[in-house]
Amino acid sequence: MLSQEELERYSRQILINGFGEEGQARLKKAKVFIAGVGGLGSVTATYLAAAGVGVIRVVDHDKVELSNLNRQILHRDEDIGKNKVDSATKRLKGINPKVKIEAVAEEITEASISRLVAGFDLIVDAMDNLPTRYLLNKTAIEKNIPFFHGAVNGFEGRAMTVIPGQTACLRCVYRGAVVEGIFPVVGVTPGVIGCIQATEVIKYLVGTGQLLGNRLLVYDGLNMKFTEFKVKRDPNCEHCGGLKDKS
Amino acid sequence: MSVKVNLHRSLASLTNGQTVVEVNGDTVGQCLEQLATRFPRLKKRLFEKDGALSRILEIYINGESTYPDELATTVKDGDELHTVVLIFGG
Repeated sequence: MLSQEELERYSRQILINGFGEEGQARLKKAKVFIAGVGGLGSVTATYLAAAGVGVIRVVDHDKVELSNLNRQILHRDEDIGKNKVDSATKRLKGINPKVKIEAVAEEITEASISRLVAGFDLIVDAMDNLPTRYLLNKTAIEKNIPFFHGAVNGFEGRAMTVIPGQTACLRCVYRGAVVEGIFPVVGVTPGVIGCIQATEVIKYLVGTGQLLGNRLLVYDGLNMKFTEFKVKRDPNCEHCGGLKDKS
Repeated sequence: MSVKVNLHRSLASLTNGQTVVEVNGDTVGQCLEQLATRFPRLKKRLFEKDGALSRILEIYINGESTYPDELATTVKDGDELHTVVLIFGG
């Protein structure tokens, strides 16, 4: 049930055809796990909090650095040296005090991930490295949790939604480990991609629209162009190959 | 078979700034080999040392993924090939 205050706060989105009070109630009931509150996570968390997702767990073991502040919009100069999840929680509560924010300043590892995602309905992949992204993808597949992927570099980004057993997963699309380092990025790029991830989450929860399943959306900010590539499940995928096709 | 290759921006410095190149081949592998012959500095970015496709490249033909058998994927006249570079930043 939505309170009078909630009906007013969310009135503009409740007006959307296919959204309604029922969709809003679904958002309120939802528990979303956001892996990372850097560039992408700041944006997805902001819009999911504003939209009224019931519980948001933000997980990040990093502390805020000056070089984060061109893009990680939940953090401020005064937060430098502090846990990212703490500044994220403070700002998210300011955006929407009705939403429950759970801050976990812990590294996502093979040992911790099952415990960290337990009880959550969705996983948002807002990480900055491939090994953790693969770990999240694998866990999402094993636990049948929808997984919302986004990645950025420079003016370029991409997004894809994984519904276990129905669509290609990250490992069906990406070949494997690559050499990683500091990546270049301008803040508007995670702004665009984080918003796309949040849009996908909201659509999934409300039950409206067409998800980015089996579709990799590539954003080229320099040419201001979106390109969609069709991807498919790999029957030999080491993460989802064993899952029965539920599509 | 004449194939239009759309190169990722990050590869353009190795192709005299060209991001669209026409090549001939019956498979993705042959098309990329021809590309590497025309632009030798590109070879290291397209292939691993053992001749496999670079781990950071994704190949799409007419907008469809060719993973996991990219190099063996056949192409036909007029096909469009996209090389996309894997990104991981957040």
